[in-house]
Amino acid sequence: MSGAAALDARILAAIGAYALDDRAFLALARDLFAYQIARNPPYAAFARAVGYDAARLPARIEDIPAVPSAAFKEFRLATFPPDETTAWFETSGTTVGRPGRHELDTTRLYEAALLATFDRMLLADGARLRYCMLVPDPRERPHSSLGFMMDVVARERGEGEAAWLFHGDALDVDGFLREAARARADGVAVCVATTAFALVALLDALEERGLRVALPAGSRVMETGGFKGRTRVVTRAELYARAADHLGLSTAAIVAEYGMTELSSQYYDAPGSRARIEPRVKIAPPWLRPIVVDGEGRALPPGVVGAVRHVDLANRGSVLAVDTEDLGALVDDGLVLLGREQGAELRGCSLDAESLLARRA
Amino acid sequence: MPEIGALRALPAKRIIGFVADAAERWSDADYAPRVRATHAIARRLGYSEPVVDYALDRLFFGITRDALTAAIVSELGSVEALDGLAPRAGAPAAWARGADRVVVVSSDTTIGVAIPPAIFALCAKCDVVVKDRSDALVAEFFGSLAEEHPAFASAAHARAWRGGEDDDEARLLAEADVVVAFGRDEALRAIRDRCGAEARFVPYGHRASLGRLSARDVGELDDALAERIARDALLYDGDGCLSLHALFADADAAALQRAGDVLSAAFERVSVEFPAEPCDAAAAARVAAYRNVAAFRAASGRGAVYRAGGSTLVVGAPREEPPPLLPRVLPLVAGDDGALAAYVAEHRIPVQALGVTDPDDAAVALAARIGAVRVAPFGALQDPPLGGHHGGAPRVADFIRWIDAR
Repeated sequence: MSGAAALDARILAAIGAYALDDRAFLALARDLFAYQIARNPPYAAFARAVGYDAARLPARIEDIPAVPSAAFKEFRLATFPPDETTAWFETSGTTVGRPGRHELDTTRLYEAALLATFDRMLLADGARLRYCMLVPDPRERPHSSLGFMMDVVARERGEGEAAWLFHGDALDVDGFLREAARARADGVAVCVATTAFALVALLDALEERGLRVALPAGSRVMETGGFKGRTRVVTRAELYARAADHLGLSTAAIVAEYGMTELSSQYYDAPGSRARIEPRVKIAPPWLRPIVVDGEGRALPPGVVGAVRHVDLANRGSVLAVDTEDLGALVDDGLVLLGREQGAELRGCSLDAESLLARRA
Repeated sequence: MPEIGALRALPAKRIIGFVADAAERWSDADYAPRVRATHAIARRLGYSEPVVDYALDRLFFGITRDALTAAIVSELGSVEALDGLAPRAGAPAAWARGADRVVVVSSDTTIGVAIPPAIFALCAKCDVVVKDRSDALVAEFFGSLAEEHPAFASAAHARAWRGGEDDDEARLLAEADVVVAFGRDEALRAIRDRCGAEARFVPYGHRASLGRLSARDVGELDDALAERIARDALLYDGDGCLSLHALFADADAAALQRAGDVLSAAFERVSVEFPAEPCDAAAAARVAAYRNVAAFRAASGRGAVYRAGGSTLVVGAPREEPPPLLPRVLPLVAGDDGALAAYVAEHRIPVQALGVTDPDDAAVALAARIGAVRVAPFGALQDPPLGGHHGGAPRVADFIRWIDAR
């Protein structure tokens, strides 16, 4: 069994090298699992219930007991005592009405993981960009993992001060126009970091004003998240086409990030799939592996749609394997995500969970 | 609509007879139109044919002369009131004149849900258009009615529902005197917006049904009662508004666990008759997520999870969590009537029916408290009688306007 420092060193080495072969991944995952069940009682109990403990470690990555993401709402899933929490991120509270917490005893792994991936997925050209944030401002929402992530990126990789343009639930459109004009005047390329919902709001506002913005050459958009809890849903194809048109970009310059609060690492659109809007292939950094499972939790072969499970070795302080309700299928070079709305039509007159949620909103 | 009023020349009693005769033919599982409809429904909805047959049996066996007559008499005083002025004790004589145009929109996919309102509207001599999803059940049944009497060929039409967006649908809704609509909230709002200002709009939204076991019921829970509960939960995979979506039991942890044991065994047995159908990946993921959280909880000593016959029973489901509303998933929640009422209020659950062991005054009082419109003994939750008030609404009264004469 390894202590936190030793594990962190191994994880950081993998992040630094941006490489981890199957054997090394499994070895680190097993050690991490042993570490976590020794310190995380709810996870240990769950693992025991499915037949694993310190004496019987999972033989394959697919065997690692995965914690349903909703469990973060009911349990403190951390390998350290509460007084050692240095940061925590809050999950959405849409399912049972209360948010969950992903606690960290250090942000070192988190920051290293996010920067290493961002560098390769958004900044492969080494550009120093100006950041226009249409994501939660960490000064207003200190427990937003997305806000934290982009704050780190802007601080470590930006060319100067970042503009935070989303306050409360309102977008500062005038602020965006000012920043765009300033970037053009300065000849500095921009990275617009945005949720899909905020991007729709921006494009709606630009259309309402009859405006198009020509962002400087080399500018790009990092889009994340869907429309959970929102009343308006647009297709990704429509969104990207409108964004390209109104911001003066190619659709290939719009890159989707896929992450979740319960993880420490992120997926991005594979560079090779950015020439099209859909389907784009999400690729993970070497220390994050997606597994697609059926309703029984069994791993599915490539091409078969199921629920996405993540094994994230940067999640040292919580749980390394997390089950989601997101649908996807593995492909040769990554993961293709499908919307949650891909299910069959409703068959009857029963209330469904989404309608109940809408009534409670 | 073409020429209207084709049924007005017929006495209501004869119309009732034709409808009952057609339903009797449909009660035969080998009747060719029914066989075709059964195949089509099974193909479209993914239910097994025995389940579709079961649903059609329940639908058509209930449509009898006596049941139709009783429902009409209970609401209008007499069947003859549909034919012309009828005396009424202590009130002016009155004619229950059927509306000219009735549209029934079944924007969801419950098996045969449009047929009861359609036949009551026909009994009231209305012209009826049913806008239905793609299977041919209503059209086939209307075909049988037309064989009974040619007037039905003019009075009863079934067409595919395309969402109210095209000109034909917009015109139908705008011209209808009565619009009956089944669907989710947003569908109902959209349909209502397309109706005429004075049209009568009868909405049936999506709802959930709950069950309650008193402390005594829990003590007396045996295999037979457990099987009735399992039937209510598993029939149609829990897709109906009358399916059992959550079960409250006034029990301590040990008694709850015992109830879980008995219920899970019953789920296993009932699943032989109503086997689980394969569900799509999204539903499977949701079920797995719900079950896994419950398993996570159970591993820490809170509650238990049973898997039986392709179904999931979660014992000790937390009250702060809304019902999962997932196929073949039943949460068993500890709590008395007060807890059940608080649960409904907290989660704002629109309740259709309350399942109990005995529909006594206390059960009716609880139903009133939680907004349920039906109290039924376990095992009969999904078998509403034709003479009952569907969704709390009358069967025929919505399709007529009274003309009083002194």
